[in-house]
Amino acid sequence: MIVCVAVVGHQNNPLYIQSFTEADDALKLHHIVHCSLDVVDERVNNPKKSGPTLNETFLGLLYPTENYKVYGYLTNTKVKFILVTTDLDVRDVDVRNFFRRFHAAYVDAVSNPFHVPGKKITSRTFAERVSNIVKSFGLSST
Amino acid sequence: MGREVSESCIDSLLTEMVSSYCNRFYANKPELAARRIEAIGYQVGHQLSERYTMERPRFSDHLEAIKFICKDFWSELFKKQIDNLKTNHRGTFVLQDNRFRWLARMSAESKAAQAMSMYLYFPCGIIRGALSNLGIPCAVSADISNLPACEYPESYVLCVVMHACSLCSNGHCHGQL
Repeated sequence: MIVCVAVVGHQNNPLYIQSFTEADDALKLHHIVHCSLDVVDERVNNPKKSGPTLNETFLGLLYPTENYKVYGYLTNTKVKFILVTTDLDVRDVDVRNFFRRFHAAYVDAVSNPFHVPGKKITSRTFAERVSNIVKSFGLSST
Repeated sequence: MGREVSESCIDSLLTEMVSSYCNRFYANKPELAARRIEAIGYQVGHQLSERYTMERPRFSDHLEAIKFICKDFWSELFKKQIDNLKTNHRGTFVLQDNRFRWLARMSAESKAAQAMSMYLYFPCGIIRGALSNLGIPCAVSADISNLPACEYPESYVLCVVMHACSLCSNGHCHGQL
């Protein structure tokens, strides 16, 4: 189950953070997202993992904590998407699919002329789309 | 595939935008109008670069980002690629389009040089916005000419000069073109 998704701008400023649990450990989730930004930076700047995965947008599993798994995705415009999930058996293809749809929703939200680049995303349509994508995570078996 | 509008709508919108800013909002203040139009282009370029880089892997260096602008981005906007790219290897690039689409329906009156240059601020802003979103802050300016014996008579050659401060070797550069 996905507990949190986040969009972080290229100056590590938060653009959108949404948690999907009723428990009020939102602060802990924010902290996890914040720590994962360091891992993203390290993954991208460290050329030791050169090869076909160097320039991919999907960064894969960033780091597992005791309860959560954190996945990352870095776009060409240096915007980071972070996904925190409690699922134990998450398929790689599901996460990639999730990020693809999330990226499409993000691009649509940013194309809104009333959105100020660098400020938080306040669009309700984006929030609805994101919660739809989160709800259908892992459900499709195609 | 998103929704589409006809190209003549875009042509009319751009013409009307330049006309509104030059004749109504900032009448007799062409520098302000130009800056405003360029700022609109900047935001549009910012957003378009998000959309057009969506399906691609990340660029490994600045040159790849500039090649993206010259090929894919230019094709999305102007339905063709750049015809010539020159660089002085010190941060300045010249992009040449021999048949710039957005000016294709403008008449070739010689007195209209000043008026014509107003139509270039929007595309310059788009390029500057796209590049700065890809991590290359730069200054962009453009120039048009009519090559006499060229393959396409009655078409405008657009030369875009782009100076990327981060790539130039001058430590005190302030984006002077």
